Amino acid sequence: MTTGIPVHSIRLKIMLVVLITTFFSLLIAGTAMMLNDWRQYRGFVATELATLANVVNRASAPALAFNDKKEAAENLALLEAAPAVKAAAIYTAKGELFASYAKRDGEEHIIPRLPGVEGLHEEGGRLSLYQRMVDNEEILGTLFIESSSDASHRLLASLGILLAVMVLSLLVAFLLSNRLQRSVTGPVLSVTEVARRVVDGRDFTLRAQKTSSDEIGFLVEAFNDMLAEIGKRAVALEASNQALAQEVSDRNAAQRALQVSERRNRVLVSASAAVTWLADEHGAWRSEHPQWEAYTGQSSQAYMGLGWRNAFHVDDRETMDLAWAQALAEGQAFEIEVRLWHQATRECRFVTLRAVASIDDNGKAMEWIGSISDIHDRRTAEEMARTLNRELEQRVTQRTAQLEEANRELESFSYSVSHDLRSPVRAVTGFSKILAQDASSTLSAEGLRLLGIIQSEAARMGALIDDLLTFSRLGRKAIQPTVLDMHGLAESTFSTLAAQHQGPVAELLLGTLPEVEGDRSLIAQVWSNLLSNALKFSAKRERPLIEIGSISEDDDYVFFVRDNGAGFDPRYKAKLFGVFQRLHDASDFAGTGVGLALVHRIITRHGGRVWADSVLDQGATFYFTLPKEFDHGRN
Amino acid sequence: MEEIEHVEILLVEDNPLDAELSMRGLQSAKLFNRIIWLKDGQEALDYVYCRGAYAQRAAALPGLILLDLKMPRVDGLEVLATLKGDPETKSIPVVVMTSSQEEKDVVKSYDLGANSYVVKPVNFEDLTEVARQAGMYWLAINHRAGN
Repeated sequence: MTTGIPVHSIRLKIMLVVLITTFFSLLIAGTAMMLNDWRQYRGFVATELATLANVVNRASAPALAFNDKKEAAENLALLEAAPAVKAAAIYTAKGELFASYAKRDGEEHIIPRLPGVEGLHEEGGRLSLYQRMVDNEEILGTLFIESSSDASHRLLASLGILLAVMVLSLLVAFLLSNRLQRSVTGPVLSVTEVARRVVDGRDFTLRAQKTSSDEIGFLVEAFNDMLAEIGKRAVALEASNQALAQEVSDRNAAQRALQVSERRNRVLVSASAAVTWLADEHGAWRSEHPQWEAYTGQSSQAYMGLGWRNAFHVDDRETMDLAWAQALAEGQAFEIEVRLWHQATRECRFVTLRAVASIDDNGKAMEWIGSISDIHDRRTAEEMARTLNRELEQRVTQRTAQLEEANRELESFSYSVSHDLRSPVRAVTGFSKILAQDASSTLSAEGLRLLGIIQSEAARMGALIDDLLTFSRLGRKAIQPTVLDMHGLAESTFSTLAAQHQGPVAELLLGTLPEVEGDRSLIAQVWSNLLSNALKFSAKRERPLIEIGSISEDDDYVFFVRDNGAGFDPRYKAKLFGVFQRLHDASDFAGTGVGLALVHRIITRHGGRVWADSVLDQGATFYFTLPKEFDHGRN
Repeated sequence: MEEIEHVEILLVEDNPLDAELSMRGLQSAKLFNRIIWLKDGQEALDYVYCRGAYAQRAAALPGLILLDLKMPRVDGLEVLATLKGDPETKSIPVVVMTSSQEEKDVVKSYDLGANSYVVKPVNFEDLTEVARQAGMYWLAINHRAGN
């Protein structure tokens, strides 16, 4: 950057200015002095020549008058002492050469043959003087003296002096200026150097050093101020640049996002809307629609104006016209499903026709922009789904009917059980009873014992059938919920059972029981089954105990019946509530194995749970829950 | 209860063992000779309306019908519906015999106009109890028997 301008150029310029100025000043002054000296020297030579002539004239005049040539020649020879005189001659009044003198200096000096005009003549570097020799006003002759007027040696000497002076002066001027210019160029160069470093390093904290208080000092100050100002500006500019860069980056990001969004929109448009279209405010098409043409096969002449209508299914045109009319009247967007001719498949396909109005400032539609989306496959799929649904519903109906049929069969089965299965049992019971009444006297003791077995087993068979029927009937019976006083219900059930019970009756510890909602006869059956079990299994204890209580949980009441009876093996408690499951030998405890199954069924239908805990021979506890809020929608 | 002895009782029952047991049960009341055993609903209707095998019998309505429900050909409910639907015969007391206290049968029988029900096999004690519950009919029967 700095290579174009020599760093020292200003110093050189100042130096040159000083030296040139000095040189020319000396040259002019020297020349003037030399000219002046030259003039003075000329005048001096002429005056000297005239003086010499006068002296020779006076000394030689007698010799001429007396025609003494020797005397005249001796007088002339005296001029030898004057170094400038080169030649001299004396002419007679008639102009004849009388005596002559020529300096013997190796040069040839010409003595004119005739005397010239009186006066001083200069010619070819020689000064010659002709002077009349007069005695008593009588012209005796003419004196000629020639001297060398050549001043070149003197000029050379002057020039030499001038040259020496000039060289000396220039040297002094050079040294002086070289010394003085530092005070001027130094600060300037230092400013330049700082400026260069600032430019190179962009370090605006640099400052030039102020060394004087003159204009250069002012320049340094101004430069420093400028640097400070530029520094501030640069910082501000940097901040501004960064902000701008950030903004540019933000804008680029926004632009990219916009591009992505736009591309996505474009993809979306191409993906969702097979055809887009543009219509004027009346719904007429005025521009080319290649997508439409590709879809419907309609040429542009065909679809221009309102011709596009014709591509829709004949049956749908009325619907579409109505929608259009309404939309045009209200300027409202609309969307309808119609069938559109599809050239490629040569069939009408279901499409969604959408139209949105572009509204001007007055709220009037300027033009309509719309799309046609092919929804045929979706519609077809929907139709298929509807068909499948219908079939499914049919199958559900069928299955329900089958279930109902199965239920009916089940009912019919239990009806048969009640009638047909009971019939042989009844016969066995009846006839063995008659046998016992009529033939007891003829039967042996063993015969009577066998008859007793037949009677008791037949009775048990009858009980099993009865229990099974009860189980089946209560399972089907609709629940009729009422508010039940569980305390009263448990107590009265226990009293009834205790009255029928044979053997020692257990002591009852009855806790407080809450009121719950449930079917009176069914819940009574639950208490009855659980309490009769408790009575039955505790009967062999010395001091049978039955405890009834309840626990309140979050959503349920837990009721329990605890006895100190035979208990059961907890390994089999999963089997406890199954139909005809018995964990005890029939010879120890009579029973059909239906009671707990019935309890389970009733409680489950009430939305509750049943379980039991026991250790063999250490009593058992049966639990059942009933919800605090009875769900009337359950049954 | 002496009047009962003179009442003609129809026992409609397809099962001969059940019929025998029922008849033996009623024996103690010396009603055995007054009991006419009919094997199904068809026979019962023929008897009441003097048709078929009973076309020649003296036309007199029975005083009481003990009716089983499940029978071949014409079942008990059909017999009940026919008799109670006929003004001529609807005053005949009909006691339905059931195998159990199966609600469905009992309810349906009452709907059709049955006067009472007993659980098989029928014995004299049961029948007397039923007669007591349905006293009004027995009064009518007594009255008719008196005639």
